[in-house]
Amino acid sequence: MRNRGVLVTTWLLLSTAGQAMADDAPLSHDASQPIEGEQIYQQHCASCHGIDGEGMPNWQRPNAMGELPAPPHGPEGHTWKHSDAMLYRMVSEGWRDPWNETERLTMPAFEDVLTPAEIRSVINYLKTLWTPEQQRHQAEESEGASFPMQSE
Amino acid sequence: MKKMMSRFWHTLSITSGAIIGLGIASVAAAAEDVLPALEYDLTGARLLKVNSSQLFESTNGGDSWQAIPLPEAVRTGQLVVAPAAAEQTLYIAGPSIGVQRSDDNGDSWYRVDEGLPSRNVIAFSAHRHQVETLYAKIADDGIYQSDDAGESWRKKDSGPVQPVRRLVHSDMEGSMQTGWLYAVSDDAVRLSMDCFCGWRPTGELDADTVYDVAYEFDEPERVYVATDRGLWVSDNGGKAWLRIEGDAPELVAITLAPEGTLYGLDRVGELVRSNDQGRNWRAIPDA
Repeated sequence: MRNRGVLVTTWLLLSTAGQAMADDAPLSHDASQPIEGEQIYQQHCASCHGIDGEGMPNWQRPNAMGELPAPPHGPEGHTWKHSDAMLYRMVSEGWRDPWNETERLTMPAFEDVLTPAEIRSVINYLKTLWTPEQQRHQAEESEGASFPMQSE
Repeated sequence: MKKMMSRFWHTLSITSGAIIGLGIASVAAAAEDVLPALEYDLTGARLLKVNSSQLFESTNGGDSWQAIPLPEAVRTGQLVVAPAAAEQTLYIAGPSIGVQRSDDNGDSWYRVDEGLPSRNVIAFSAHRHQVETLYAKIADDGIYQSDDAGESWRKKDSGPVQPVRRLVHSDMEGSMQTGWLYAVSDDAVRLSMDCFCGWRPTGELDADTVYDVAYEFDEPERVYVATDRGLWVSDNGGKAWLRIEGDAPELVAITLAPEGTLYGLDRVGELVRSNDQGRNWRAIPDA
């Protein structure tokens, strides 16, 4: 399967689980249901990023098409370096690496697949994969860059 | 291959809304082989040069140079004291002095590195557009970022495994955050988004030592790199490099002025200029 397919599948696989919490889901600093987030993750993200968030092999090197494999989400990855706002944007809008020689997004967009609350929830689940120090770092990064208001 | 700098200088010029990095000399630790550095200050429309632990500016394309005083800490008997003239803010950084700032073009300097764990700064850059955002590479530690012009610093990344001689921030499109950082090591140029999502090697360079990297202000995808085997250019941010067949001497520092004028310094600090994207070069003797 092409990378995009994998990514889309992974992420797309996630979507349904958190539907119920759509409108009143908590923000990043509250308890935003990591259990539901894990369910969403397993459904939509795990096929690319790994069941345990381990990422794809050789994720740090672009493949022959210039596409970066899905990175891990645990301590060895870099997800923890990003603010809530950026993580939300990445999941929602996707991202295309400029060295990607395909027309595909490197990271698919999930704004038509996941509700805002589900996106927040899955991000809050990812936070459970980090070390306490990484969690602190990410919380500091999120100061002034929290989840977008429209996602509340 | 040379080890990382034992002494290295870096200055930056800041003005309203734009920060221009001035590469400062990089050095081989063992041999004290201080390399000159060169930067174009867009706001001040001037070249800035560091050579022999002295800082100079030129507002006429290198035809003549004026010295800018450096902090006492770096005036190790080699530096020239000169009157300050411009209003631009300058930063200077290096293993011996950490990071210092001047708001009066060198008349006075003050420390902005209290938040760093060490003053052993081996590479330094300013954000291309965010006036108060700075990046400092601490030897054997990592890359620290300040978002308040040096008032406070925060470790953001360990940086490439290889020793870094030069950091350059770019506003090339495509970053998840605000831009990119080029890190020059002896063996390669590496690239990371400025959210530090990991360092990727740029295209292969047939060279033993990489010295410097610079990009066009108006077209940041066009990047030049100076190596011991000549000058290379990329039109895709460094994804692939093409050797420039020209008459350039071995350049250890390069910078670009508007309209794509390339300037370079050889190992002894002699300036050369190219108006045709690095193919033909003209020496500009010191006045």
